[in-house]
Amino acid sequence: MSRSGLSCPGCGSSNIVDDDLYCQAQLVCVDCGSVVSEGALTNESVYVGASDVSYSRTTAGDKKPCMNLLKGRHHVIAMCRILRVNREIEDLSQTFYSRAYQHKSFIRVTLRKKEFLAGCCVLVSCRMRQWPVTIGTISCLLDADLVEVGAVYKEMVTVLNIEAPSFNIYDVIEAHSQEYKISLHVAEELAENHKDLTKRAVELVELAADTWVVTGRQPVPVIMAAIYLSWQSLKPNRHRLKLSLDKFCQLAKVKKQKPAAIRVTEMKEVLCKLGKEIPWLGETLTPDNVVCQVEDILKHRYALLRRALRAREEALLPESLASCEASPPRAPEVSDPNPAESPVERRKRSAEDKGSNWGARALFAPPCVVHAKRRRVEQPELRDVTGDEEISDSEIDSYIRTPREAREFAQMQNMFLE
Amino acid sequence: MDESALERYFDDSIANESDFLLGEELDLQSPPPPGKGPAPSRGVQVAEELDLSFLPDELSSRDEQSRHDNTADSQIVPLDVSQDSGISGDYNSQDATAESEQGPSMSGPGTGVSPFYPMTPMTPMTPMTPVTEKSGIIPQLQNIVSTVNLGCPLDLKFIALQARNAEYNPKRFAAVIMRIREPRTTTLIFSSGKMVCTGAKSEDQSRLAARKYARVVQKLGFPARFMDFKIQNMVASCDVCFPIRLEGLVLTHRQFSSYEPELFPGLIYRMVKPRIVLLIFVSGKVVLTGAKEREEIYEAFENIYPILRGFRKQ
Repeated sequence: MSRSGLSCPGCGSSNIVDDDLYCQAQLVCVDCGSVVSEGALTNESVYVGASDVSYSRTTAGDKKPCMNLLKGRHHVIAMCRILRVNREIEDLSQTFYSRAYQHKSFIRVTLRKKEFLAGCCVLVSCRMRQWPVTIGTISCLLDADLVEVGAVYKEMVTVLNIEAPSFNIYDVIEAHSQEYKISLHVAEELAENHKDLTKRAVELVELAADTWVVTGRQPVPVIMAAIYLSWQSLKPNRHRLKLSLDKFCQLAKVKKQKPAAIRVTEMKEVLCKLGKEIPWLGETLTPDNVVCQVEDILKHRYALLRRALRAREEALLPESLASCEASPPRAPEVSDPNPAESPVERRKRSAEDKGSNWGARALFAPPCVVHAKRRRVEQPELRDVTGDEEISDSEIDSYIRTPREAREFAQMQNMFLE
Repeated sequence: MDESALERYFDDSIANESDFLLGEELDLQSPPPPGKGPAPSRGVQVAEELDLSFLPDELSSRDEQSRHDNTADSQIVPLDVSQDSGISGDYNSQDATAESEQGPSMSGPGTGVSPFYPMTPMTPMTPMTPVTEKSGIIPQLQNIVSTVNLGCPLDLKFIALQARNAEYNPKRFAAVIMRIREPRTTTLIFSSGKMVCTGAKSEDQSRLAARKYARVVQKLGFPARFMDFKIQNMVASCDVCFPIRLEGLVLTHRQFSSYEPELFPGLIYRMVKPRIVLLIFVSGKVVLTGAKEREEIYEAFENIYPILRGFRKQ
């Protein structure tokens, strides 16, 4: 809707339109894009000339729909259009928002929280229709903290009793790889097309998931690490290998995530362990030269995984037999007490018995187990307390100030207050 | 019981048995519903004695597989078996007497017609593996929260002045924070006379600590009593010592679990009976909270352990 009578101070054109930004009314020049004027964040237009009675107290029989609800609905649509989701998701998020807004847990919350609610409705609708979007993306749209949005999301899902599907990292990889601007406007040796990049990144994430690098971790740094390694290994020339993760993110115009560097290290470790099993490879693999072998490793990853695990079993076999011999002297029998149980099961059980260092024994284990934090050793239950024991006077007196102490303390407090 | 009625019963049970076995097959990954528990294991035992050659190959191999699974993972069918073994046992003895009355001629068609039939009047029942095969892991209590009513209004400023171990900042929070060394606990004392005690590692320690705090308040000159002591929350933790595939667990137990790696690295499992919340981590560590009694924690852990074992693989 063009506004007549106004002219843009920047270029002088009279082609000025209403272009609301979320909840803020703005007049923008179409030709040069400058903002001619912006309205207040609150919308007083509807209530101009209205009485002093607040909306919730009006006794009018035919109440106009709540302005905040309408604004919220517009907000939902705006976000759906930004994310370019299909019509079905738009409608679904609108229904969710209307339902949630009217619910008693959300009707009286702050406007900011209602904005979060709008974002969460979009998020849950996307998830239900298999449209990949992360909570991080929504919180970026809302310019909010991930944890706060997450809290509203959880509350909304419980309140509306929705059974939303859980997060699936594979859905999101393709969408994320599109963000990396390394196909055009980049030097020849560094350019890569998105299809190959995504395909290899998916394989790397699958491998990482099988070897406990992905579970429990933030998904976006994992994806970033996978895309970086995939890009390096697709054409492992010296230009690409020289580029660090930081520089790669700068090149691709993507904001680097701090944990991504650690994920790169962890993935390279996994690749080295698998690369060791390649029969035709002469050299020893280190994190520096493993990138060149990534293609082969990924191609034969399942076979290499099996070999690596079997090799580990065989390495641990003499150890477990030795421990069996220490027990009753029927060592040859022990290896075959239960034909249904595989050696892996048995080893796992003995590892389980050992307890704390099962992570060190396994070939692949979640990194939080392999690098377990040293916990302060708790003192064991010193006494069996019944709860009804005698309480000694002296002990209680030790918690009470002497009169002199109390006076001095009071004096000191007064000094501070002055 | 006359011959025709018995035969009719056998025919009925064959019709139901095939459902049982199929159910066992499909439910290998998760605990089967209680009603279907006993039949497969009984059927399997019977199969050892009887000639199954007339059955199609597929069925007998299924029996083999389920037998393997039974020996390796007997946890999957723990409680179900015990519940029904009693009933079948009774029926068995009943039937045995009926059989012996009829004479040996009855037993032939009876056992021949229904190979999967749970009751074999002629063969003695071998005792089942002990039903309560526990995990062997006991969750350790880490924190107990309890409340008690001292029964008289308190002057918090006075308490903060006279007690060594108290801190009071009315601008930040409207209660005195008091600590004692043994048992190592912290308490919040409100001006109404109500008190919240946290940090104890057992119910008795919590009670002792609360009594000590009440004594301190008494010594300071208030007519404090010790009324309505109640444990409000218990937190425990333990380690199952194997890694857990959280993504798989959230798919199969969707109604109870919530796993959002972007928000929290652990899976939040809200168990319905007993009403406990468990935080399950990829390392195999489990935190249980929300209990008012110690038994609820143990029960919750025994419920979750077989589920977690199902998700342990390499």
